[in-house]
Amino acid sequence: MRVWRNISELGAGLWTTLRQLGRTSTVSYPEEPLNLPPRWRGRPVLTRDPDGDERCVACQLCSAVCPTRCIELQAGERPDTRRYPLTFRINFSRCIFCGLCEEACPTLAIQLLDEFAFSKEHHADFIYEKEALLIDGTGKHPHYNFYRHSGVALQGKDKGEGINEKAPVNVRSNLP
Amino acid sequence: MKHVFFLDGQEIPFIPGQNVLEAAIAAGKDQQIPYFCFHPALGSLGACRQCAVKIYAHDSKHPPRITMACLLPASDALQLATLEDDVHTEHREIIELLMTNHPLDCPVCDEGGQCHLQDMTVQTGHSVRHYSGPKRTYRNQDLGPLVYQEMNRCITCYRCVRFYQDAAQGEDFGVFGSRNRVSFGRLEDGPLESPFSGNLVEVCPTGVFTDKVFRHDYVRVWDLQQGPSVCPHCAVGCNTTPGARLGTLRRIRNRIRPEINGHFLCDRGRYAFPYVTANSRPLQPRLMGETTRQDAVLRQLASRLEEGRSGFLGSPREDLQSNLGLFALADCLHAPFAAVTSSWAEALAQQCLALPQAPSLQEVAAADRIVVIGDLDSIAPMAGFAVRQALRQGAALTVLASSRTELAQKGDYRPLRPSALRDQVAQLADDPCLQGGRFPVLLATAETLGPSGLYALRKTLEKLPANARAGAFVNRPNLFGAAYFAADGHTERLQQALRQRKINHLLCLGADPLGEDWGAGTWRTLAPGLDGLTLLDMVDSETARSAETLIPVAAFPERAGLFVNYEGRIQAFSPVYRREAQVLHSAVHGSGFPEAAGGVKHPLGPPPPLFWLGRLAEMLHLHEAWQKRLDFYLHFLCPERPDPEGPGVLLPDTIRARFEIAAVPAARAVTPEQWELDIFRWYGGETLADMADELHSLAPARGLRVHPNVQAAAATLHGPCGELRLPVIACAEMVQGVIAIDQEGFAELGLYPGDPVEVSWEQRQ
Repeated sequence: MRVWRNISELGAGLWTTLRQLGRTSTVSYPEEPLNLPPRWRGRPVLTRDPDGDERCVACQLCSAVCPTRCIELQAGERPDTRRYPLTFRINFSRCIFCGLCEEACPTLAIQLLDEFAFSKEHHADFIYEKEALLIDGTGKHPHYNFYRHSGVALQGKDKGEGINEKAPVNVRSNLP
Repeated sequence: MKHVFFLDGQEIPFIPGQNVLEAAIAAGKDQQIPYFCFHPALGSLGACRQCAVKIYAHDSKHPPRITMACLLPASDALQLATLEDDVHTEHREIIELLMTNHPLDCPVCDEGGQCHLQDMTVQTGHSVRHYSGPKRTYRNQDLGPLVYQEMNRCITCYRCVRFYQDAAQGEDFGVFGSRNRVSFGRLEDGPLESPFSGNLVEVCPTGVFTDKVFRHDYVRVWDLQQGPSVCPHCAVGCNTTPGARLGTLRRIRNRIRPEINGHFLCDRGRYAFPYVTANSRPLQPRLMGETTRQDAVLRQLASRLEEGRSGFLGSPREDLQSNLGLFALADCLHAPFAAVTSSWAEALAQQCLALPQAPSLQEVAAADRIVVIGDLDSIAPMAGFAVRQALRQGAALTVLASSRTELAQKGDYRPLRPSALRDQVAQLADDPCLQGGRFPVLLATAETLGPSGLYALRKTLEKLPANARAGAFVNRPNLFGAAYFAADGHTERLQQALRQRKINHLLCLGADPLGEDWGAGTWRTLAPGLDGLTLLDMVDSETARSAETLIPVAAFPERAGLFVNYEGRIQAFSPVYRREAQVLHSAVHGSGFPEAAGGVKHPLGPPPPLFWLGRLAEMLHLHEAWQKRLDFYLHFLCPERPDPEGPGVLLPDTIRARFEIAAVPAARAVTPEQWELDIFRWYGGETLADMADELHSLAPARGLRVHPNVQAAAATLHGPCGELRLPVIACAEMVQGVIAIDQEGFAELGLYPGDPVEVSWEQRQ
């Protein structure tokens, strides 16, 4: 019995080896594109919400959590009181692609997508400004819009029009 | 005897009268007891039910029970526990109830990072709410340019109402609605009227009230550079914490100093800071209107000073060291020096200093008989706040003023013309309003009362019981410091030298002799005799625009210095940040690395006045003598240097005693038929504060305020230095026969408060 088990295990191992014969697992990158796993942590980008507005509300959690302090931003305010990053800058010569910014981001704005190979001649060229970071898509989360869930009013979204919100209270009513 | 109770077996010391929560917070044990509605300055309410502790009875008959720490008076050998399951459950469930309707908008909430609700939620471990129904929403109110409301975030702790109505005694803010529709705000949209409205931002434990000025240039608090500073907008000298980021000042918050401002700050102190970032602020040296380099302007100035025909003018708006530096330079050059712009202001400062030790605001709040002379709220709002605290304790308030101010409505108001004010003050010693008190306090706005009035106040004080105290307030941070090294009649001597053509160049520090400073009318008549005027200043004043040489200096949060407040308390402030180029785009910045790349930024801010004066002394080969004199004067005034974090150092009485023999200019006689001038101010008005757009947008219209029985559209006032035409604003609060105008108007006319004035009225068409 024991001999049989040993032989079968040997055979299974041999089969695994034999199965790889004729296959090549080396990809001739960069000629061939890579098939990266969906949770691959590549270069962070700023995404837009399904309505096409930028998702970032400049809450500064990404810059606070960043272990290498490579994110720097300044909040601005639109006339309709919506916050946005006036400037947003990531220094990729410091970034370690840890993904903590993506984890911290409450609006799913900053996402680590699949770009990982980029080289520059000068250090200063690694500093990406907002124009280079902001993409025209929703990234990995196609449906989420922070302002639909938060209680603040905006142009085109009054109080009580968000998801799971009651109509505004009439404070002058004294009905029970 | 040391009093202690036990919290989870640990000894917590307490002072009799404290409650358990207060003592626990003081002992640094607030990690164990979460709380919301309790505030050290507003007291306990027991409304939020958050600060539960378990109390064990000493006998074995009663089971332990849960009670609120903020309502439980601390007593000896009390046995309390928080580290037990049922207490934890209580904490967690109460916070879940409070959070039921709280919106998930922390990312766009300005309170995030400094939010009491965030801290307490994390502390109690509440993370997932069981309620999944729709949340309550409110419409926000527009509360003016200073405070932003987002009512959804409210947890109904009532701190705002308790502050606004009880502590600040404001009347235009309250609680509306019933059951779970309770809302906090004004009856209708509009700016908050109280001079203390900005404190709502700090009092609110969540983000219902946030700072609207900070909002425009927002940065999270963890990114702010902060440090200890002193408010430069009036003589009270409240302690503040400015916050800056990327080389620009973003906000001012209160720094707790029990002797002075306690937990609160007035709106001038909080919202006047944008003078630092104002576009009009001079940042580069200007020579004949052209921007130049530091060296060029220093060389030109040194050659002017070498001629030996220069006069020096300090300012009560500048800090003590800078004024002393200028004084030392004048001394080295044997040149005439003045610290204030007119002899009247000089006498005023001397009379303020001659008053015996003024009460601190903490002491004012403990007084039981208070007499306020003039419009205290508009000069030093925090002094008015201290009076309100005394009123809450049942103090009797008497207000002597020429208009029915907000404070006057809270006490016994005596409408008086400014000339009658002096006589009334002289008779106060026998007045029933001060009789029978345990601790009488007299608070005067120095300018309304004038030097002779302040003299009368001092004489009255001598007749009152020994514990009676008096304080005089101005809206300059350092008038009392500037007056110390001012010899008698120095302003007159400086003006005389100018008249006799002994000098033809004036070096001013932070003064505005051609604009709105006292006696500006006289200076304007003298200005043609000047061959050049050099100004070191941080705001774009009238004088700065006409100065031949303008030298920018660092603003107060950008440098270190000393201010002497109305009590003679020398307080130090330290530099909080460096003004730097805000690198918004690396491409614009050229070759240099942005900070994110490890690059350094180039400081752009102008240096402090002492640096300029030191360089000047160096170029004149006087540096050693200058430094020696500066150190000597500084050591004379404050032998021990105050610590910016400490309560400051009080000036010794011996130095004050020098001013008791100062001459008092006689007040000008007024007949009852004549119109009398009084000064009109509002709580946010001050030279630096006028540069703050948001605060200044609340300023009342400029005009001439009289009782409405005058039917006129406009009036022209005639003074010794000029005429002034102003629209008439009918003001029912005014006493008849009194005209109130702003300080610029006085400067234009060459008159002082309490002076008679000739008026020609223009009838309405």
